[in-house]
Amino acid sequence: MSQPAAKLSVSVPGELAAAVRKRVGTRGLSGFVARAMAHELEREGIGVLLGELEQKLGPPSKAEMARARKAWPKR
Amino acid sequence: MAEALILDAEAVNALAYPSERRVLAARAAAILRLAYDRRALVRVPAPVLAEVCRGVRYDSAINHLLNNPGVGVLELTRSIAQQAGHMLARLKLSSSHAVDAFVVATALQFETAVVATGDPDDIRRLAAPFPRIGILAL
Repeated sequence: MSQPAAKLSVSVPGELAAAVRKRVGTRGLSGFVARAMAHELEREGIGVLLGELEQKLGPPSKAEMARARKAWPKR
Repeated sequence: MAEALILDAEAVNALAYPSERRVLAARAAAILRLAYDRRALVRVPAPVLAEVCRGVRYDSAINHLLNNPGVGVLELTRSIAQQAGHMLARLKLSSSHAVDAFVVATALQFETAVVATGDPDDIRRLAAPFPRIGILAL
């Protein structure tokens, strides 16, 4: 079941607004903004988690980062 | 469709208990950092929770991880479950490998995905036909 929508009034740079409208049209704007907001909240959460891990373990080593990069498939 | 980092049971445990699992947690933290840099989603397939949740008294660290807004739990849908069944049948594997198959089928919902796992051999076998799935052995 979908949640009730909340109306927001936000101000963004004109060029950014024009680029987004061109990409998704007026009717797709709400969905686009909702996805972007959700994604930013997720990223902030991962940033917090990385901070907690770094406090306990220190930053990831170069070797571990290289290993991780190797595992990521090419697009 | 987005990129995703899929956390298997060992990865969830490593991130939930980093002080107790330092080596595995350091590896999991590195792939998590990479996922962050690539703006990838971080997801736990719901069946993995059956392997890591051990009772209300013991789950606080797991819940802390899962309550992070960046760590989403992906529900097991009919389509994912059927895809997992097809993978098991292709490899003539029993249902004791069902959670591994659910993990790989969940990874297939994304454009590309990396599965962080403590069980790389079975996951690798299941994911072998799908080059868009990478495996990070913890």
